[in-house]
Amino acid sequence: MTKNSEEGSFFRSQKFTDWPTVKEALIAKEIGGAFILAPMAMQLAADDVPIKVVHLGHRDGTAIVVRVDSGIRDFADLRGKVIAIPSRYANQNILMHRMMKTWGMDFDSMELREVPPPEHPTALREGSIDAYIVGEPFAAKAEVDGFGRVLYHTKDIWEEFISCVLVVHEDLIEGERELVAELVDGIAKSGKWLDEDLEHRMDAAEVAAELYYFQPPELLKYVLSKPVDRVKYTNLAPLEEEFDEIMNLAVEIGVLSEEIAFSEYADTSFSKPLEELDWDMDRLPPVGGAGTEETTR
Amino acid sequence: MKLRIAIGSLAWVLLITCLHVQLNVGWARLVSIAAGRRELIVGFLPVT
Repeated sequence: MTKNSEEGSFFRSQKFTDWPTVKEALIAKEIGGAFILAPMAMQLAADDVPIKVVHLGHRDGTAIVVRVDSGIRDFADLRGKVIAIPSRYANQNILMHRMMKTWGMDFDSMELREVPPPEHPTALREGSIDAYIVGEPFAAKAEVDGFGRVLYHTKDIWEEFISCVLVVHEDLIEGERELVAELVDGIAKSGKWLDEDLEHRMDAAEVAAELYYFQPPELLKYVLSKPVDRVKYTNLAPLEEEFDEIMNLAVEIGVLSEEIAFSEYADTSFSKPLEELDWDMDRLPPVGGAGTEETTR
Repeated sequence: MKLRIAIGSLAWVLLITCLHVQLNVGWARLVSIAAGRRELIVGFLPVT
């Protein structure tokens, strides 16, 4: 995210290391918006936290990973195993239950254990879990390091999978509507640019690795190209039927305490058709000249 | 002598202020705020 939009507004990213802290910062209005887990956004809205989902972060970009020497060949082989999930409020948790239903398995067929995403690869390598499901780059990490094998990419088991969503405070939507629109337009434009050309993705991997993810650029380049549709950055408008499916499953497994209507936690008015979005930029400037600012907590 | 101390003190305060802006605020942000531009902080975790 650059410091200034074309209109001159100042956007600043703040990195967090765990979901509860992001949630608290949102509630305390220390930040105006955040990328958070889709079911978490629903639960916050159900708890009367005044936020709205205005855009998606990406599509897909999650995988179920097992050890390369594991005998696990399909989902049925996960019966009785320990599988790490990033959070109870992650859509990855919902996906595992959706898969259990599809495969005719009881919800207690496997142990789903909450593990912070960066610890998933290590836990698999050390044998404390049998598999994990997590967002990138931690799925690719085990592959690149040679001890992990992707059992399923989400694109192959839940098409157009949703993981993180962009939420903003309702008072910003009401009082600073143009600012929110600038943010959503910027994210949508950069997503379109990313999906246009593999070279764009490689440029973005260099910048994101050094300034935001603090991971080797090669890992992010792998994520963005092996295969190229492993994670997608277009088609990011929140769609009611997709969120309803997540919400219904979340209620069924007890992640959400009650049903919540799409209109109570989502605002689709900021999403524009891709044809209306264009970013007049070919390649990214080298790292150091990108003009970025980011804080961590 | 007093004038030199006053100028020295002023220069020191200016230097500290500039370093504070550079380290803790950032010049681009300061210019944006001074120009009345709007600001939005967005939180994220480095995982998709």
